[in-house]
Amino acid sequence: MSNIAARIYAELKGDKAIWSVMVLLGIFSILAVYSATGSLAYQQDGNTEFYLFKHSGLLAVGFLLAYLGHLIHYMKYNRWAPVLLALSIPLLMITIFYGAEINDARRWIKIPYTSLTFQTSDLAKLALILYVARSLTSKQDYIKDFNSAFLPIIMPVLIICCLIAPSDLSTAIMLFLTCVFMMFVGRVSLQYIGLLLFLGVVSFALLYALGGFYPDLIRSTTWVNRFREFMDGPDQIYQVIQAKMAIANGEWFGMGPGNSIQRNFLPMSSSDFIYAIIVEEYGIIGGAFLIFLYVFLFFRVTRMVTKSPKAFGAMVAMGLSILLVTQAFLNIAVAVNLVPVTGLTLPMISQGGTSIIFTCIAFGIILSVSKYIDASTG
Amino acid sequence: MDVKNEVLYRVYFLLFGLVIPVAVLLVYRSITIGIVEGEEWRNRALLENVIKERTIEAERGNILAEDGSLLATSVPIFDLYFDPYAPSDEDFLANVDSLAVSMARYVDNSYTVGGYRKYLMELRDTAINRSRHVLIKRKVSYNEKRFIQQFPLFNLGQFRGGFIPEKRSERVRPFGLLARRTIGWVLDGATPIGLESSFDEELGGEPGKVMMINVDRRRDLWKPMDDLTAVEPQIGDDVVTTLNINIQDIAEEALLRGMQKHDAQWGTAIVMEVKTGAIRAIANIGRNNGSWLEDYNYGIGKSTEPGSTFKLASMMAMLEDGFVKLTDSVDIENGQTQFYDVTMDDSSPISYRLDSISAYDAFIMSSNVGMAKLVNKHYGEKTSANNKLGAEAFINRMKQFNLHLPTGIEIEGEGKPLIKEAYSTEDYWSGITLPWMAIGYETRLTPLQMLSFYNAVANNGRLMKPYLVQEIRRFGEPVEHFRPTVAKKKIAEPETISTVRKLLEGVIEEDRGTGHDLRTDRYRFAGKTGTAQVDYERGSRGTRVGGHQASFAGYFPAEDPQYSCIVVINKPRQGGIYGGDVAGPVFREIADQCFYSLMELHRPMNAGPKPVYTTATLPSGDIGRATDFHRILDQLDIQFYGDPATELGVLSAKSDSLMLYRRTILDDQVPNVVGLGLRDALYVLENRKLKVEFNGVGKVVKQSILPGTALRGQTIWLALE
Repeated sequence: MSNIAARIYAELKGDKAIWSVMVLLGIFSILAVYSATGSLAYQQDGNTEFYLFKHSGLLAVGFLLAYLGHLIHYMKYNRWAPVLLALSIPLLMITIFYGAEINDARRWIKIPYTSLTFQTSDLAKLALILYVARSLTSKQDYIKDFNSAFLPIIMPVLIICCLIAPSDLSTAIMLFLTCVFMMFVGRVSLQYIGLLLFLGVVSFALLYALGGFYPDLIRSTTWVNRFREFMDGPDQIYQVIQAKMAIANGEWFGMGPGNSIQRNFLPMSSSDFIYAIIVEEYGIIGGAFLIFLYVFLFFRVTRMVTKSPKAFGAMVAMGLSILLVTQAFLNIAVAVNLVPVTGLTLPMISQGGTSIIFTCIAFGIILSVSKYIDASTG
Repeated sequence: MDVKNEVLYRVYFLLFGLVIPVAVLLVYRSITIGIVEGEEWRNRALLENVIKERTIEAERGNILAEDGSLLATSVPIFDLYFDPYAPSDEDFLANVDSLAVSMARYVDNSYTVGGYRKYLMELRDTAINRSRHVLIKRKVSYNEKRFIQQFPLFNLGQFRGGFIPEKRSERVRPFGLLARRTIGWVLDGATPIGLESSFDEELGGEPGKVMMINVDRRRDLWKPMDDLTAVEPQIGDDVVTTLNINIQDIAEEALLRGMQKHDAQWGTAIVMEVKTGAIRAIANIGRNNGSWLEDYNYGIGKSTEPGSTFKLASMMAMLEDGFVKLTDSVDIENGQTQFYDVTMDDSSPISYRLDSISAYDAFIMSSNVGMAKLVNKHYGEKTSANNKLGAEAFINRMKQFNLHLPTGIEIEGEGKPLIKEAYSTEDYWSGITLPWMAIGYETRLTPLQMLSFYNAVANNGRLMKPYLVQEIRRFGEPVEHFRPTVAKKKIAEPETISTVRKLLEGVIEEDRGTGHDLRTDRYRFAGKTGTAQVDYERGSRGTRVGGHQASFAGYFPAEDPQYSCIVVINKPRQGGIYGGDVAGPVFREIADQCFYSLMELHRPMNAGPKPVYTTATLPSGDIGRATDFHRILDQLDIQFYGDPATELGVLSAKSDSLMLYRRTILDDQVPNVVGLGLRDALYVLENRKLKVEFNGVGKVVKQSILPGTALRGQTIWLALE
C-alpha cells in the first residue's frame, strides 16, 4: 500500500498542500452526497447506491482531469483564453434561447447525441477568468490607463455576466465579484473599480427592466421573490428552516456519518444546502474544518502570488481560487441564512456534473501554476 | 509603492480583510444557529418533522402436522389502494382508457369499461373526491397483486402511477376447520387459545423496528430511515405437532356422524400413541344453534364425572391391594341396592335377573351395584386388611394411578381433575361418596386424563405424558425436539395390568360384555364403556336424571396396543344413551380406519393362500385408469383379460376372473363420468377445462351436464355416493 501511495505521491507535481485540500474535499463530497441523496434515491427505485457510484465516478473523472491539467504548462491556458471566451459567448446565447430547463431554470444545454447536460456558465466562468488574468498581466505596465487597459478588460466581463444573469443571477454576481477582486489584486485603480461596480448595478437595472418585457428569458420575478422572501423574514422559508434544524441537530460534533435526519426534509440537500447536512452529520467542528480548507487553499495561492506577483500564472491561480472561495462562501452563507437562497453549489462538494468537472479543471490549472512557480523560485 | 508591493498589499488585504473575516462570520453564524439557538430549532424539528417508530411484524411460523402438512400458515395478502392525484395529467390521460378496460374486465365486473373510466375521472375531480387513498380491492393474493400492478398507469409505480399495495399477513388453515380449537388462534379481540397461543412466543418471532420519516406530508408518504437503529424482524419458528392429518380427519368425521346421529350436546374423540403419549388426533364438536362446530376444546378442557370408564381404576385398586380375584362373587341384588338412604341401580336390565355374579362379570357387564359393593366392602370400614385406612387406602391407589394430577398438556385451559381426599369435609365427603366413586361419580376427570390412564394400562403400566408438539423448527432445521415423557414408570404391578387387560378385552369379546356389539373379526381391541348420568338428583327412590354422557375408552390392537382412544358424547338425545351404543361405534370407526392405514398392523393382502373368487366377490362396473387397474390386479394376483388402448377402462366380472373393457372419452364433449372415483373424474373433467363442484364421497352417481354436450368451460356439478 505504502508503495502505491509513494508512487502516486511521486507522480503528483505541484503544491502537495493543494492536492491534499482537493483530496479532503473529495472525501467530504462522497460522504456528504451519499448521505444527502438517501431520500432522493429512495424515491427513485430505492437504489441508494446509484448516486454514490455516479458521484464517485464523476469525482474520479475530475481527479483525472486535474492530474492531466496540472501536467500542462499554464502558459498554454494563456493562449487558449481568447478562444474559450469566444466560444462561450455563442454557447451562452444558445442556452438562453434553447437551453434545457431543469428545476425551473434554463442553465443547461443538452450535449447532442447524449443524455448529458452541460452548464454553459461553468465553461464561461473558466474562460473569463483566464481571459481577465491574461489581460491583467499583459497590460500590467499601463494598467492604470482607462482606454487601453480598463475598457478592454471590463467589456468581456460585462458581456459574459449579462449573458449569464438572465437565468442565473447569483452565478453572474459571483463571477462579476471575482473579476472585481482580480482587478483589485491586478492593481487596477480603486476609482475604476468603483466605476465598474456602478456599471454592474446599472447593467443589473437594465436587465431587470428587460425582464418585464421578456419574462420567459429573464427570471426577474424570481429575483424579486427571493429577495422579498429574505427581507420578509427568512424564518418563513421552508428550506432555510430545515437547514437551520440540520445545523442545530449537528451541534458541535454532529450526529455521525449517515445519520442525517434533515436530508429527508431538506430539498436540494445534496447541492444547495449540503453544508447544513455536513454540519448535521459532522458537527460545527466538521463545518469549520470545511471552511478552513477553502481558506487554506486561498492562503496557498496567496503564497504563489508573493513569489511571482506579475506572472500570468499567479494571476490565474488567484482568480480561480477567488472564484472557488467566493462560491463556497456564498453557498455556505445561504445555508446559514446570511444571504437569500441562490442555487450556487458548494465547489467540489455538491452533486452536479459540470460543476465538479470544472472545479477539478480549475484545481488542475492552479496546480500547474504551483508546479512551475515552485520550480522557478526553488 | 513598487508594483510587487502593491500587489502583495492588495492580496493580503483580500486574505485578511475579506476571506478570513467572512470565514469567521460563517463559523460564527453556524454556532449561533447550532448552539445558541440550537435548542429552539431542535424542538421545532421534533415537532414538525415527524418521525415515527414502526414495528415490522415478523412473519409468523407455521404449525405443521406430524408429516409436515401445513395446519396453519401465514400468507401475505394485500389491500390495494389508488392515489388518483399522484399521476401527472399527461400520464393519467394517456392511460385512463386502458386502465378502465383492465379494471372493468379483471377487477370489478360491476362496472362497464365506460363506467369505470367515468369513475376514474371523477376520482381526479376535486369537487367529487379529495381522498388520496382510494380502495381498489381488498384481500388480494400476491399473484393477483402482481397482475394488477402490470395494468397501465399502475405499472409506473407508486409515485408516478399512484398504485399503493398495502401488505399484511393472514393466518390460513389449509385443512379448514381440522383441529380448529387445538390449533387455536391469536387474534385481536379474541381470547388466544390452542397451540397458536401456547407457542405464541416461538411462532411469533421477533418483530423488527424501523424509524419512519414523513417524506411528503401532503401525501402521507412515509419511508424508512436507513440508519443504524433499524432492526430486522426475525421470522417465527415452525411448530411441528404430533397430529396425524389422516387420523384427525377420521376422528372428526366419525365423531360428527355420531353426534348427528344421536343429536348430542357435545363430543370429543382423542387418539393417542400408546408407546409415546403423542396425540395423533383430537376432535371436538359442540352443538351451537343447530350447527355443529368445534366451539370448545372439550377433550382437554372439560372435566366431568366420568362414569363407568372409571371402574377400571376401582378394579385396579382392589387388585393391587389383593382384595379381589376375578372369580370372587358379588351379590348384585337384581341390580339395585341401598347405600344409606340412597338407591343405586344398574343401568343394564340384564342385572334384574341376576343376583350373584363374579367380579369379572361385574366389570365386563358394568354392574354398578357389583363394583360399588366390592369397593365398599374392602374400603368402607377401617379394617386391619386396609391398615385401618379405610377409604384413604382407596384414594391412595387413585393417587398411585396419577388420577389426581392434570396431564400437563402444552395448551392452556386443561380442566382440573378432582379426586376427593378421604373423609375430608372440605371435599364434602359423605357416607355415599366411596360407593359412588367406585362407579365413576363424585370424581371429575377430563377425557384426556382418562385416556392417559387407559393408555398407561395399554403401555404395560408406564404412564406417558400426553403431548401435542414434537418439534420446534427454525428455517426447516429442528431447534428443539420434545421427546416422549414418562410421567410415571409404573402405575401398577404387572400382574394387575395383565389382569385388567383381560377384563378390558372381555368387555368386547364376551357375549355379556357391554361392548360386545362392537366386536370385529379383523382385529382385537379392548376397552370399557361408560354411561354416566348428568344433571341428576339422587334419592332413596332412585335418581332423577337430566341426561347422559356416553363414553368409550380403549386401545387397539389388544395383543400389542399401538393406539389408545377415548370417545365421549354428552347428552345424546336420540338413538340410545349407552356408551356401547353411542360412543362405541365412533371408537370402532376410528380404530378401523387407523388399523387400515397402519401398514405395520396388518399382513400384506397378497400373502397367504389365494382366495377363491366368484362373480359376487369381484368388482364389476367400476371405471378407472386402465394402468391403475393393471397395477392393482397384478399386485392382488387376480386374473384379468383385456388391455384397452384407452386411458380409462371398465371392469366386468366373469366367474373367477375379470375383463377390462375400453372406455372412450371424446375430447370435444362433456364426458360421462358416472361410476368414476372423484380423482379420475376431476382429472378427466378439468382436462377438458370444466369447473367441477361436488358433493359427497365415493363414486360419481350423478352429473349436472348431460354427456355429449359441447364443451364451453361450464361448471359441472357431481353427486358422489
